[in-house]
This record gives sequence, C-alpha cells and structure tokens, in this order.
Amino acid sequence: MRLADAWALLPELVVQERDAERERRRLETLACWAGGFTSEVSLAQPDALLLEVAGSLRLFGGLDALLARLLHGIAGQGHAARAALAPTPRAALWLAAAGEAGCTEVPRCLSPAGLRDALAGLPLEVLELEPARERQLNGFGVRCLGDILRLPRSGLARRLGVDFASALAQALGELPDLRERFRFPETFRESLELPARVEDAGRLFFAALRLVQVLCGWLAARGSGIVACRLQLEHERTCATPLELVFTAPTRDPERIGRVLRERLDRLSLAAPVETLVLLAGTPEPLPGREGGLFGETAAGEGVMLLVERLQARLGEASVHAVAARPEHRPERASVSVAPGLGSAAVFPGPRPCWLLPRPQPLSEVGGRPQRDGPLTLLAGPERIESGWWDAGEAEAVGDVRRDYFVALSSRHEWLWVYRCHEGWFLHGHFS
Amino acid sequence: MSALSGAPALAGVLSRSDVWRGDSLARAALPGVPSGFAALDAELPGGGWPRGGLVELLPARQGIGELSLLMPALAHVSANELSWVVCVAPPLPPYAPAWAAAGVALSRLLVTRAVGGDAAWACARALDAEGVGALVAWLPESDAGTLRRLQLLAEKSRTLIFLFRPAAAARESSPAPLRIGVTAANDPGRLTLRLIKRRGGALESPLELDMARPAPSPHAVAGPPPSAAAARSLPATAVA
Repeated sequence: MRLADAWALLPELVVQERDAERERRRLETLACWAGGFTSEVSLAQPDALLLEVAGSLRLFGGLDALLARLLHGIAGQGHAARAALAPTPRAALWLAAAGEAGCTEVPRCLSPAGLRDALAGLPLEVLELEPARERQLNGFGVRCLGDILRLPRSGLARRLGVDFASALAQALGELPDLRERFRFPETFRESLELPARVEDAGRLFFAALRLVQVLCGWLAARGSGIVACRLQLEHERTCATPLELVFTAPTRDPERIGRVLRERLDRLSLAAPVETLVLLAGTPEPLPGREGGLFGETAAGEGVMLLVERLQARLGEASVHAVAARPEHRPERASVSVAPGLGSAAVFPGPRPCWLLPRPQPLSEVGGRPQRDGPLTLLAGPERIESGWWDAGEAEAVGDVRRDYFVALSSRHEWLWVYRCHEGWFLHGHFS
Repeated sequence: MSALSGAPALAGVLSRSDVWRGDSLARAALPGVPSGFAALDAELPGGGWPRGGLVELLPARQGIGELSLLMPALAHVSANELSWVVCVAPPLPPYAPAWAAAGVALSRLLVTRAVGGDAAWACARALDAEGVGALVAWLPESDAGTLRRLQLLAEKSRTLIFLFRPAAAARESSPAPLRIGVTAANDPGRLTLRLIKRRGGALESPLELDMARPAPSPHAVAGPPPSAAAARSLPATAVA
C-alpha cells in the first residue's frame, strides 16, 4: 500500500521512517542487557539475538526460571519478544520466527535428534527466501519445512544453491554454524529518549531503571561491578543535570543501584523538563566473589554497607562517616572523620571526653579558679600537652600548643575537660 | 460452693506464664543487654536494656553523664556481639579517643549527621538494616507520631535503641515502653535515674548509680599558667 492510500484511509496516521541505524543500536543495547544471562551473546541482524544459555541454567535455577526471567526482563525493556529454544542457532531463529510475540509458552526443542520433527511443521516464510525462490519451491509442491527436509539434499543444492542446502544442514546440526560473538563495549554509555518530556524527577525512576538493567547486564558479562555511575538528565535547551550515584563497594545489583537512584531522584527538583536520560558507568572494578555463610546467612557488615549507601544518597556523602582516633597529642587532631568501617583506636595517657568542642570556649577566672555557672572544682590533672611546633602559623592548623588539662566538675554537675594556657582558661570538652 | 472453688482457680491462672500481674516486673520476650550497672539491671524487664523497643532517655541537661550510662551496653554490643553502633544526629561528632577507651569498636561505629525529619528517617533505615546492634539517636524535636512509627519498627527488630530527648518531654506521653529521667545526684560522679515508665509500672523511688569517672587526684591544683608556646621557638627575627 502506498503512503497516500494509507493516509486516505486513516488521516490521523503518524508515519515514521524506519531507521536501520537506530534499530541496530537498540539491538546492541539489548545484547548488553542480555549479558546478565550469558556471556555468549550473538547478534542476528536485523532483529534477533542469540543467547547460549546452557551454561547459565544452574545459576538461574533451571530452564523455566531462566526463560521466565528473560521474558519478564525483555518486557521491562519495552519489547515483546518471540523466543524459541533449540540446540542450533538457526533452528532457534526459525522457531522464533514462527512464534507469537509476547507469548509466554516458548517453543522448545532440547535434543538434536528432535530437531527434524520440531522444524517439520514450520511454514516456508520463516526461511525469509526471495519471492522467486519461494515460487520455485511452491512449484515443487513444497508447503512447509517438512516437505523440504524430505527432498534429497543433493538435488536441493543443485536447484536452489549450495547456501540454501548448507543453511538446512546448519539448522539440523549437521554443519557447524559459526557466529561472531557480540563484543561488549569497553565503556558504558546508554541513552534513553523519553516518549514525552518529564517535569517531575520522581517519574524518571522507572525509565532510569531500564538503563540500570542494561548496565547490570553489561557488568555481569564483564564479571565486574561499579562503585560510581552518572545519570545525566538532558534538557531541551539548558545543559544536562548530572546525578552521581556512589556505592560503598563494587556492585552490579540492579536493586541496590535502584535504591540509591530513588533516594537521589526523590530529592531532586528539576530546573527544566527532561527529554533524554543518559547513563554513564565509571570504570568497572573486579567484583570480589561473595562468600556464602556457612549456614546460608549473608556476610556480616554487608547490610550496614547498604545502609551507608542509602543514608549517603539522601543526606550527602560527608554526613555519614566513622571516627578514628589518631596517635596525636593535640586533642583537636586526635579524632578524625573517616569512611565508614575504617575507624581505628589509639591509646591516650589521660582521660578524654566523649564530646570535644570544635573550638575551645574561653572561661572567666575568679581568684585563680575557672568559672562556669560558679567556680569549677578541679578533680584530676594537670595533664600537660605540649606539641605541634611543626604547623605553627599555618592556616587551619592547630599550631603549637602548651596546655595544662584538668577534669573539672561544675556546680550543675557537668563533667568538663578544661585547660589552662597562657591566654587563660578554656572549656574543651564534655564527659557526658 | 462456687466461691470456694474459685480461689484455687485464680492462683492457677496467676501462675500461668502468659498472665502478667500489673504490680510485678514484666517478663521480656528477649533477654536484655546488660547495662553494666547491677542495680539498674535488677529493675529492668529482661534483666538489662530491652531490645525491640524504644528506650527514651530524658537527661536534665547535657553533659551530666547520660552517655556514660550507655557506654557499657554499647561496648558490649560492639565488642562482644560484633554488631554496629549507629549514632544519628549527635550534638557533636563523637570524640574517638573517649569512645575507644570506653570499649566501643570504632571500626563498627557509624555517625550520621541529619536534621529534623531526616534524622527520624535515618533511624528507620538503621532499624531495617541487618547487623546494626545499637542505635543512639538525638531527636529533640520528634513528635508522638514519629516515635510511634519508630516503636513499630523497633518491635520488628532486635536492635537496641536509645533516644535522647529533652527533659521537658517527660510531661508528654510517649509510645516508648521504657522512659528514664536522668539527673545528676548530689554526690559527684553519681547519677539519679527515675524510671518514669517501664513494663511493670513506674519505679517509685529513684535509682542512684555510680558512674565510671576519671579518678580524682588530690593534686589537681592549677599551678601557674604555662608560658606561651611561642616563647620556646626562636623569635622570627633571629631566623634571618
């Protein structure tokens, strides 16, 4: 039907030109995604993917579980697939071509011996022959693939070409069918055009999750994980909004990435509507194998690392930390913030307070005794701390100190850490 | 006749394990975490800080020793049970030397700075997480709704949860099953605890506990102020 005829019948018809290049890119994206199921992926241009799944059956808990996840996943990617399972690639392609899109009942043939029967009922269209060839076959009285398989092979090769005969032999597993393996790209960059412009960041989640699934497939095929990735929200005119996702350990768990993503998206207010999402992965890092617990429990500490990630995603990376004691005499420098899990202890000669004030607070002095709501009673001390000549005068440094520290009790029963230096008395901490 | 046979039946009912008399201490489902103070353990259901419920601490003012009260339990959770201790919205960052000296393993200590609703959210996430043994949170502005939600989460977890709230909050009702007012005793180094609410009824007489404190020394006398540190180093002009 010509385009003019189609428009005459249906004036509101929206026509889009077929873009072979975009179709090819889409197929490659799906190949990346399929890396989550097997590393042996091969493209069958223009519209098919071949996955070698025999090696993945145990990991996914059997064939049915694998197929269910595969079909569910591909539906999540926005495609209705026709799937088929066969011992040879060509037979799988033919079986799939005869199947029905989005059907959960997958035509399958599991043994090479059963191939002939499985293929016999397929119509000739699955072979995608030129019309002249198809007419020629019809002239022989051939109606389905089974009719061809019954004809002598040498005669077929003479009449229809060696290619046709070898394709049949490959489908039956009599000739090897070598296929180029899909090469997973070295760097990951996937984009997704949104069907409509989105103004609410929360609604981007499901679209972004689709990219995350592809990323996880790509990572699985490489046997690695990422500790950081960036989601770029591209607008029509203004520059893109970058969204950095950071993880505490290499991961390729879509749920884990999704959780961090959701926290970040929930807190985001968009300056302009988003048209396209681009997901860029950082350098993939080898994912250490996970040791299962002796009795099936998860490794200790992992739950906390997930907690750290969620907290950091919402509160900012600097707001979630651990503390470490450093062997350093000056109290200000003896405690530092470190990444969670890296806290370490050190030994100190005297008592130290639970809270240290960020800046010492000057105390007044009456009759040689420091005052805070009345005179303080000195209980223990003095502990002389005299150190730090090396960074005296530097900006932001504590500098050279010479202080006598005391434990003091205030009239309101607060336990305080105070010190005296040449400038007078200062409050430096609370024993709480 | 029926009145006579009723008396032994009542005793039988009372001896059942699932019947609890309001005037005796409740039996806790989970054994508590030893608080490090025998006098306090004796008064707490479960023989220690209870798990699976909020413990609300209402100190009269900050710095009287409210944190030292928790330190033995935090050290137990962190060093013996190898679980994490999470601090949410502390007034200042914990000072590592003191926390380490108290026995808390710093490699399993997590500090989260958060304000307002974020602090409660962080508490909820910490309760969800596996491997968190104790949660210490400072929630000065939390309302009853927030506390109720936290209490519901707490009931599902085994985490020890301490909430610090201002003493004024003692007048408001709270869903926390254990609420303790903390004031300094007249004796230096001692704390007075009032068990405002616990399973088994409030404790009428306050408890006095001895806190581990830096040992007082008889020589704690301030001498003359130390000279300026700079006096030791060479004057700047001499370096030329």
